[in-house]
Amino acid sequence: MDPVIARVLIESGVKIALFFFVVMTVVANMSWVERRVSAWIQDRQGPNRVGPLGLLQPLADGVKFLFKEEVAPPHVYLPVYLLAPMLIFVPALVTFAVVPIGPTLSLFGHRIALQIADVDNGILVVLAFSSMGVYGVALAGWSSNNKYSLMGGLRSSAQLISYELAIGIAIIGVLMTTGSLRLSDVVAHQIDHGWNILYQLPGFLVFLTAAFAETNRLPFDLPEAETELVAGYHTEYSGMRFLMFYMAEYANMVTASALVVTLYLGGYHVPGLARLGLSEIAAAIIQVLAFCAKVGFFLFVYVWVRWTIPRFRYDQLMNLGWKGLLPIGLANILWVSFLVLMRAN
Amino acid sequence: MRVEFFLLIGALLFTIGCVGVLVRRNAIVILMCIELMLNAVNLTFVAFAHEGQSMAGHIFVFFVMTVAAAEAAVGLAIVIALFRRRRTTDVEDASLMRW
Amino acid sequence: MVLLLGLIGLIAVFAAVRSLLPARSIPAGIAVGAIATVLVALNLRELVSLEFWSWIIGFVAIMSAVMVVIHPNPMVSVLFLIMNLFCIALFFLILNAQFLAVIQVIIYAGAIMVLFVFVVMLLNIRLEEGLRIGGGPMRSGAIALGAVFAALMFHAIRNRGEAPYFDPGGYDAGFGTAREIGRLLFTRYQFAFESASILLIAAMIGAVVLAKRRLR
Repeated sequence: MDPVIARVLIESGVKIALFFFVVMTVVANMSWVERRVSAWIQDRQGPNRVGPLGLLQPLADGVKFLFKEEVAPPHVYLPVYLLAPMLIFVPALVTFAVVPIGPTLSLFGHRIALQIADVDNGILVVLAFSSMGVYGVALAGWSSNNKYSLMGGLRSSAQLISYELAIGIAIIGVLMTTGSLRLSDVVAHQIDHGWNILYQLPGFLVFLTAAFAETNRLPFDLPEAETELVAGYHTEYSGMRFLMFYMAEYANMVTASALVVTLYLGGYHVPGLARLGLSEIAAAIIQVLAFCAKVGFFLFVYVWVRWTIPRFRYDQLMNLGWKGLLPIGLANILWVSFLVLMRAN
Repeated sequence: MRVEFFLLIGALLFTIGCVGVLVRRNAIVILMCIELMLNAVNLTFVAFAHEGQSMAGHIFVFFVMTVAAAEAAVGLAIVIALFRRRRTTDVEDASLMRW
Repeated sequence: MVLLLGLIGLIAVFAAVRSLLPARSIPAGIAVGAIATVLVALNLRELVSLEFWSWIIGFVAIMSAVMVVIHPNPMVSVLFLIMNLFCIALFFLILNAQFLAVIQVIIYAGAIMVLFVFVVMLLNIRLEEGLRIGGGPMRSGAIALGAVFAALMFHAIRNRGEAPYFDPGGYDAGFGTAREIGRLLFTRYQFAFESASILLIAAMIGAVVLAKRRLR
């Protein structure tokens, strides 16, 4: 085989395996993080018996789910019922393919970007896969052949597409200052001109709120709340398939946090690192760790908000999306155009 | 890849969509087959744009997608309104104006 | 080409074994898998060729289109149409239309099809009774026209001229990017762009008015 093609395949293969492994580990341990942080907020202990500090608790939970009986009720439409959990999981992970984790390194004589695919339309690929995430929820609700699941699925997908608009409008603000759709260019622009959160705070807030809604997390988790529609779209799922939904939610959270960090918080940038004059590898390692720390901070914010704010009612939720976030997003675009004009002069 | 390959696939998809529009009963599936035909046309436009190196084909596809979105929205609204009256999406039952 | 035909042949063999001798599926499957691996290893260069993947994507596109038309359950038709739209997006990528490929996924597969899924869920349609195949003159007319069309296609394909092979490299670097489309949309096709936005507003208002419930 052509050596160039072989090199590209090996490089991409290693990166994909690494990213997948790291993301799945984070997703698996998020339940531990959630339970400990929520316990801390509520002034009690979380799981602390299984392993040191309770760190093996997710493993125990996984084993429990593995041994649970997987009941597929006879009235479900089986092909779509089996497909739906995967349809939620896959877009969240695929979005990670375009997120830059660190700067470009020179390893083994080649320039290797710490990003699986630096496509020309990085931002659009992100939007595309967040649109794909709606299907899993809608199809899970429909295939369960159950009034409550159907309503849960309908409500949840309506919520998801409404807040996709808000995400798109917030992203337009970032796009206007960056002038390019590549995510590595977005980070490079922030390295040169300061983090986007400093200049586009309303856009950041719109994006963060919409990201909460896109991942179906409190305060926007009405469609899957236990007190509402039984369990919404995942009522009829049990065992490993339910675990897929659970993990898909955490995977979506990780992806959304990574996007917030890349678009608004400068990605892997550590201000003042260039002045220290470290070697390229050491600087890269520090920057990758900085990226992980920022993503971890936003995951903490996700859990923090969940256990602090009460749930929105469905009509309040839709009102917020259409009548609240959309006008703020448009005002953000006006503000950013003003900024771009000022900068050009 | 020769451009004929993509033109052939576009033609086949268009034909399949055409057959779907003529043969299916459910109004929603008919609308979906119309979308299939529009996509086949999009593929043909992009194939020719690639061969002739002209971006005009891409602009055309952009507008075809816009119009397809508008038409799908209005068409589905009509289907919903029809369903409310007649409790069926079967186009054979919407035969008031047929001779 | 060898790889493609080899894989298709293996799938056909496996399907035949599975339907005729169901008890022997597992050893047949293992044998087919081994032969497939050997074929792939010998033709590794073809696995990364655009032609091979174009054929596979074309095959999947046509199969999913046929399933859209044939399957009685409308929701499954929607799912197959989404698969078809993805294949078309991949074709756009092969044809250097990278912006359009992503826009296809965002708009068609991500918004229009969600609309279809919503309507199918709302109207809660299950299955459909029979196809709308008319009899008598309509059927013979359709068969005649179909034969004419098939003859036309056959003639067109048989007498096609020698078009040059193109390779996706070596083209103007901005072809198909968002920048180029934006440049054209805001200069040459600006009127069409603005009228498209008016069209979308009209469609939005129309859809809301048509689907609204009458307040008693």
